[in-house]
Amino acid sequence: MTAPEVTVEEQVLYSSTVTKVGEQVGMFVGDHGILVLFGADSPAELHDFSALHEPTVASAGPRPGDVVELGGTRIPVLAVGAVVEANLVNLGHIDFKANGATEADMPGDCNLPVGTLVLPQPGDTFRILRPAGPVATPEDAP
Amino acid sequence: MPDYKSVTISKGRGGWGGPLTITPTADRPLIYSVTGGGIHPVAAKIAELTGGEAFDGFKSSAPFDKIAVAVIDCGGTARVGVYPMKKVMTVDVHATSPSGPLASFIKEDIFVSGVGVSDVVEK
Repeated sequence: MTAPEVTVEEQVLYSSTVTKVGEQVGMFVGDHGILVLFGADSPAELHDFSALHEPTVASAGPRPGDVVELGGTRIPVLAVGAVVEANLVNLGHIDFKANGATEADMPGDCNLPVGTLVLPQPGDTFRILRPAGPVATPEDAP
Repeated sequence: MPDYKSVTISKGRGGWGGPLTITPTADRPLIYSVTGGGIHPVAAKIAELTGGEAFDGFKSSAPFDKIAVAVIDCGGTARVGVYPMKKVMTVDVHATSPSGPLASFIKEDIFVSGVGVSDVVEK
């Protein structure tokens, strides 16, 4: 088995390993299409519905056209709210919403295509990757 | 025993909910800041005016029944509902409205958003 071929060089903006997955995460992903991540040092009351992780690279947050890689699944980023980067870099926190929106409803949302979220498992890698070349946006599609 | 005072916290521009009156007590003294980068200025102002104890939720944890008010910088999905669900008065510094899986717990008498330092006044 070979890794998916990467056609352009990618910049790793964020790299982390999932350490724990809360009991309600499956319900959030399955019923709401929402995945909440927090850094492993977050307050305990946030752990039930969060996937906790420990980053080794935390240089920036995503922007539209970037790729979220979670447990080997690659998901394109559609939209990013105004406070996503600060949340992610400071707290390891991000709210993924797989609702297909191309504009973030809430300032903390990072929107992904419908049905793309996977239920993470402890040990999974979570990364945010930026293509080295010009960023493809939905408007560029024919 | 500290002499606690009350503050009124109103929604800021684009915000939702409130106003809330916060009065710490000896049993619930904590102004619990669950925000990036340490104690948020809004939490510091509430602590200063009330005599409550500013507490950084990312440094250590506190039981819910010790919290007079939680100050969050939530973008609308997760933290926004957790503290209202636990019946803890909640102040979001971002201008969010009820949303997310926990939206049903977010009521005007327990949650206020879009709050800046100038929205916290002595009662």
